[in-house]
Amino acid sequence: MRQRLMWVLWPSFVVAGVAEIAFFTLVDPQELYLFGEPVYFSRMATYSIGFFGFWAVCAAASFFTCFLQRSAKEVNAHRHPAAH
Amino acid sequence: MSSPNPVPHTAAEETVEQSLYEVSRKIYPRSVTGWFATWRWVFVWLTQLVFYGCCWLPWNGRQAMLFDLVERKFYIFGLVFWPQDVFFLAVLLIISAYSLFLFTAVGGRLWCGYACPQTVYTSIFLYIEEKVEGNRMARMKLDSLPLSLRKVYLKAGKHAIWIIFSLWTGFTFVGYFTPIKTLTTGLLHLDLGPWEIFWILFYGLATYGNAGWLREQVCKYMCPYARFQGVMFDPDTLTVTYDRERGEPRGSRARKTDHREKGLGDCIDCQLCVAVCPTGIDIRDGLQYECIGCAACIDVCDQVMDKMDYPRGLIRYSTENAIEKHWGWRDILGHVIRPRVLVYSGVLMVIVIAFLWGLAVKPELRVDVLRDRAALAREVEGGLIENVYRLQVMNVSEIPQRYEISVQGLKDIQLIGPRVVAVAPATTQALTLQVRVPPESGKTGASTIYFDLRSVSNPRIAVHEKARFLLP
Repeated sequence: MRQRLMWVLWPSFVVAGVAEIAFFTLVDPQELYLFGEPVYFSRMATYSIGFFGFWAVCAAASFFTCFLQRSAKEVNAHRHPAAH
Repeated sequence: MSSPNPVPHTAAEETVEQSLYEVSRKIYPRSVTGWFATWRWVFVWLTQLVFYGCCWLPWNGRQAMLFDLVERKFYIFGLVFWPQDVFFLAVLLIISAYSLFLFTAVGGRLWCGYACPQTVYTSIFLYIEEKVEGNRMARMKLDSLPLSLRKVYLKAGKHAIWIIFSLWTGFTFVGYFTPIKTLTTGLLHLDLGPWEIFWILFYGLATYGNAGWLREQVCKYMCPYARFQGVMFDPDTLTVTYDRERGEPRGSRARKTDHREKGLGDCIDCQLCVAVCPTGIDIRDGLQYECIGCAACIDVCDQVMDKMDYPRGLIRYSTENAIEKHWGWRDILGHVIRPRVLVYSGVLMVIVIAFLWGLAVKPELRVDVLRDRAALAREVEGGLIENVYRLQVMNVSEIPQRYEISVQGLKDIQLIGPRVVAVAPATTQALTLQVRVPPESGKTGASTIYFDLRSVSNPRIAVHEKARFLLP
């Protein structure tokens, strides 16, 4: 479980960092719109929220990868508890 | 599985699954002294003096090293980088990567062993741990003892020092992104912004967790470099190597024994190389990806060899070829220059030269011209056609500047609005300008005109910026 948590949280953290740098170098947070309204947070707040947003999205992708990595055996295991 | 029958879990499969990430046992590295340990401390001091010190250096009335995220400007001593300069950042990353490739190809994991923050902070945290809890044996004993007042006292003391050190590290880190003097004032008046507090705690916690708890697990399970550094290795790469031929068969013996007579090699199997290893491996098993090249085993083995009156270097920096072909230092150095190293150095040199050239010719003035789309072209008094422009004048230098503005490109072109604009250091000034021409100056449609801005004090600082003029 601990490994899976690391597999989900760590690579997503690294990629979120890269995405954060790339995105906010190109886009000024003060020029963003949120639900049609200009973003009124401070730049620091937008950067921080942005980072956790990226992290969450990347973690979702890592989680999905982990989820699909389960072998057929593991997926079927609960159906034949007494098979072996 | 292609087999139609359900195949039961075999023991072997389960071992494979588990041994990939075995339950990690706590490693108690024995502290070590010697040539390489001294070099590691030199690098710990150097890197940390730079890290904790650089943010306090003043330059031109500001912080010398400041990555001002709020103002979106990076200051590195005399240089100011704007978001438009992202190219430099990208090239800098490429230079770092290529330097790492080059170092790795020649000297193996020099980065990991001496300069990586993970190694540096683990060294510092281990030093604190040893000062509070005692040496390796004392620490192992303390951990095995039941809870007592002394144990709580020692553990609490260690963690308190770790936490204070981590918070200072977090504070310093944030001090590179928010001016550290503002941050200090905020801290003294207990008036820090919520995000500053958050990031100080976040980075502090990361330091505490990585150097205090995770340690070698970061290198073994989290570091991508540890996984791909082998790609840069070849048989002429220097690595920490155990001389199997000389050491085997290993075995304990009395100091006075003639071990050759007993058919023994030079390794006395004292296990000290394992005890000092921060990642808990046995270097005698050969090169492993867990080996961070810290050379602690070399230091400790040399001490053992000295005690036994055997020559030093049973474990030493050597190359695969050198061990196999019994090369000396002269041969090893002779093989440093080889195609891989030449290619890495060549590419690195080209990029560094391009980077420095780019820095040297980095413009000190930038101008963005935007035609006012709302107004299009309109006719004004005297039958002239007017277009309106918004200019963003960026003084990228650190000196206040005044720029003369002129416009050319169409016959009898006139500029209405300010002719000179003053821009403070490292700031942007927006201004609106009207440009007028007689209708017969050009064809109907878009024509090209040029705005010229020239510094009053230094005519070499100038920009010739293209714009489009619409004629109805």
